[in-house]
Amino acid sequence: MAAAAAVVTPTRMELLKLKQRVSLAQRGHDLLREKMDALIIEFFEILRKIGEARASALKQLSLAHRALSICSAIMGTIETRQASKEARRELEVEVSTHHVMGIVVPTLEVEKVERSVLDRGYSLHTTSSVLDDASSEFEKALGLLVKLAELEESARAIARELEKTKRRVNALEYILIPRLRAALKFIAMRLDEMERENFSRLKRIKAMLEAGA
Amino acid sequence: MSFKVAVIGDVDTTTGFALAGASYVHVHTKKEETLAKLSELLATGDIGLVLITHRIVEELGIEFRWMLRMKRLLPVVLRIPDKTGYMPAVDELYELIKRAVGAEIVIRAEGG
Repeated sequence: MAAAAAVVTPTRMELLKLKQRVSLAQRGHDLLREKMDALIIEFFEILRKIGEARASALKQLSLAHRALSICSAIMGTIETRQASKEARRELEVEVSTHHVMGIVVPTLEVEKVERSVLDRGYSLHTTSSVLDDASSEFEKALGLLVKLAELEESARAIARELEKTKRRVNALEYILIPRLRAALKFIAMRLDEMERENFSRLKRIKAMLEAGA
Repeated sequence: MSFKVAVIGDVDTTTGFALAGASYVHVHTKKEETLAKLSELLATGDIGLVLITHRIVEELGIEFRWMLRMKRLLPVVLRIPDKTGYMPAVDELYELIKRAVGAEIVIRAEGG
């Protein structure tokens, strides 16, 4: 605080300027605080959605793995792997971006995850129907995982922004504003002191003049 | 814009997702190889989603986190459990909450 007080010149002009700066900083601080609150609400909304999406996606994924294990057991591991190499692998994810509170967040969408048996591309007469089951379970799982990925990415983006905002709010609240206030106080005290000095000086001169007269 | 899906995982995970239509798969064997493949996947522009199993993420360690921090908006990287259902004890999401909000908050399911 002493360092801050040392650099300001105790004049009325400076006092007015400082007052303006304090009120500006205060306004900025209030605005950022509001932004932070809104971000937190948004963040928890997304977290809640993630909880639901994650539970269903993980459940579907374990079902899919189960189906795949059965498939490997019945058809043979090598044959299953071979079929997966033959399968058509052209799944397309539609990605667009949207804005949440001025933060860019990707949106992922898949048009057709679940395909018909003929669309999958592996030969049907060398494979068993359990392979079809495994494929369809994995397709469902993938659809859910895409949604989950979108939500997690949004949460990460919002958390990053939240951290930044929090740092700014704290910098204003605990450093800039107290420093300005201290400088303001210093000037006010100094000006008062000068006024008192002047007053006593005048009194003294008056007394001297009266004594001389 | 359409993007493709990539999967990095053990043999079973990659087989399953290949059956579901994922365009690129990489079977994890060595750390260096997987890291090279991952940076390649992150650099090419036509991939929208990378799925990687938790077990591999743990093996890759700090390099993986660096890559994640350096990457652009796309592709989105999602960590998934493998066939044993393995998930790390400390959820990455809870660390995120702790860092962002400054308090540990546990979210329960609706009505829980």
